[in-house]
Amino acid sequence: MPENPVNTPGLMRAAPSGGSLTADLDMVARCRRGDSVAWRGLYDRYAPIVYRFLSAFGVPNEDREDACQEVFVAIYRSLARFRGEARLSTWIYRIAARHAGRISRRRRVRGLLSTLLLREPPPPPAPDPSERSERLQILDELMSKLSPKKRLVLVLFEIEGVPIEEVAKIAGCPENTAWSRLHYARAELMAMAKKRVR
Amino acid sequence: MTPQHRWPEGPDEVSAELRRALDEASLHGPDDMTLRRGWSAVAVQVQPARTRSGFWFAGGVATTAALVLAGSFWLWPHATELASSGHPKAAAKSDSLIAPGARRLTLEGGVEAVLGRSSVMQIEDGAPRIERGEVRFSVPHRQPGHPFVVRAEGFRVVVVGTRFGINVDGKTEGNVDGKTDGTTDGKTDGKKAVGVDVDEGIVEVWDAATQRRLARLTPGESWQSPEVAAEASPGPATVEPAPAPSAPAPRISTPPTTPPKPARSFQHAAKQTAARTLALVSPRETATASERATSPAEAPTAESTAARVALAAGDAPRALQLYRTLAQGTGPSAENAGYEIGKVLNEKLGQPANAVAAWRHYRAAHPDGILRVEADVSIIETLARTGDTDEALSEANDFLRRHPDSERRAEIARLAGDLYRARGDCRHALAAYQITLGASRPRDAVEAATFHRAACLVHLGDSGGADAARAYLHAYPSGKFRGEATVLAGGGSGAHP
Repeated sequence: MPENPVNTPGLMRAAPSGGSLTADLDMVARCRRGDSVAWRGLYDRYAPIVYRFLSAFGVPNEDREDACQEVFVAIYRSLARFRGEARLSTWIYRIAARHAGRISRRRRVRGLLSTLLLREPPPPPAPDPSERSERLQILDELMSKLSPKKRLVLVLFEIEGVPIEEVAKIAGCPENTAWSRLHYARAELMAMAKKRVR
Repeated sequence: MTPQHRWPEGPDEVSAELRRALDEASLHGPDDMTLRRGWSAVAVQVQPARTRSGFWFAGGVATTAALVLAGSFWLWPHATELASSGHPKAAAKSDSLIAPGARRLTLEGGVEAVLGRSSVMQIEDGAPRIERGEVRFSVPHRQPGHPFVVRAEGFRVVVVGTRFGINVDGKTEGNVDGKTDGTTDGKTDGKKAVGVDVDEGIVEVWDAATQRRLARLTPGESWQSPEVAAEASPGPATVEPAPAPSAPAPRISTPPTTPPKPARSFQHAAKQTAARTLALVSPRETATASERATSPAEAPTAESTAARVALAAGDAPRALQLYRTLAQGTGPSAENAGYEIGKVLNEKLGQPANAVAAWRHYRAAHPDGILRVEADVSIIETLARTGDTDEALSEANDFLRRHPDSERRAEIARLAGDLYRARGDCRHALAAYQITLGASRPRDAVEAATFHRAACLVHLGDSGGADAARAYLHAYPSGKFRGEATVLAGGGSGAHP
């Protein structure tokens, strides 16, 4: 990990990493064998992370719970394909990112169709003031203007605290590309924040 | 960890606000209710996924309902009777059992368990876990690769053979916050002593946490968990043959001429058990664990006892002769003797080639024998040790094909990988290591396979080699291949393979 603090993942939390590779493999193997305790353990460990990630990635409140469940159903059905070549958290983030991307595309298409057919703009995502502070809502609004690729890298690195090599694996790009996307995402976010203040 | 975001760094208000927003997002998560709702929905969605067609779904529901109804009629009167009579089948239907007196129970697969007085055994996902007291098992022939596993404290007892006993001492040895009255609810920090003894066949004791094999017991041998007070984790594997009966009792001991220990007396545990615990009261039940273990019909034969005595006394030729005589007969004792011949030849008489021949003979005589996996593994390990790589690899590949579910699969795949690597055949080694990684244990085999796989990838010029080495370093930061993995991760070719 580079020493430069700007290159340090947000919060450096250990939560996304889950357990060791061996522990992950063991947990997955037990899940595959139909061990309901292991499956519940996997859900308990990763559901808060998936939920937070979906939230930061812009999945609206009304879709978030369903999306989180769909991600776990997808995880369950894909367990046989987990080979342990990446960390379990990386693998789960990848599934969640794919799913969040699909939801985002679905919303965009739905919005576009609504505009074309009904000639009225789609309703904006419902805010959830009970859950998220005004500060978070502003952050959401700013990040929603980033491209999905930049937003993914920014969310993973700055909010989820995932190291850049894992971010690159999740985003399916080389590390240098991940760094580059992060750089531009930060710059754009800062510029938008300053513009908003003015 | 205290949130200390490092970006954006600027001292201005916008940077500070953005930093606070990112920190807040990092700490934002769902509440418990949301997670519970999610779990309920996920649990429902993943279970019925197999029924896709509406027709089949409806048919399935109808059939299931009919079966449930029929089963209820069949089971209901029995269930009532079982609770009062201690019928064996009760074990398979209950989550937890407490036997105020000794109880004989039949578990799934025809496994017979005899619970000592006040013994507590739980069935978790179909596998027994002994909470306290003594339980003796009689395991019928099982399909090779499907061993019967019993958990006791931090140990897994893997049964390859037929008859054995486990005793989880009710006396807590560790610190239980001042409570040393011998009771435990399973949630204290204290650990209980675990003892295993074998009447017939082969039993292995594994450390459930580290996935290390601690002992491999043959008939007449017994094993005791190390003193909890002396060391925090179970001691290293001690699988050396037992000394003479006159020697001081070691961790693994061989008391061939003494009967198994009688069931110890424990306090009744009814007060400590959860609501799902089922108490069996059976005044008609007569056979206690000790009575059953010493009944003449099921005691080890005189020849096998004499063979063990001869082995313990260092008279391997005499033991071999006795085992050969026994092997001429029929039944479990003859089968066991067939395997033991190879073991004596290999371990006591230093005749690995003859040992391999003996195990192959055993294999031919008992193609589906209880010790089939053991015989296969012994042959592979012996061939590898004596340098017969071609034969060892051929046997190992056969084993991997033949035993897709064996617990020994990872070890054998790792051994095959090492043999291929020693011959410079990295492509086949990679495939073998991949099998080990798929099996996930034992830990040392997986660690070695993880590293050697990376080394092979680097050797083959695969771009994923350095990543694999980094993955190794990440998974095993203080692993035994750390130095070499660091070289590989840095882009060097290293000394491997």
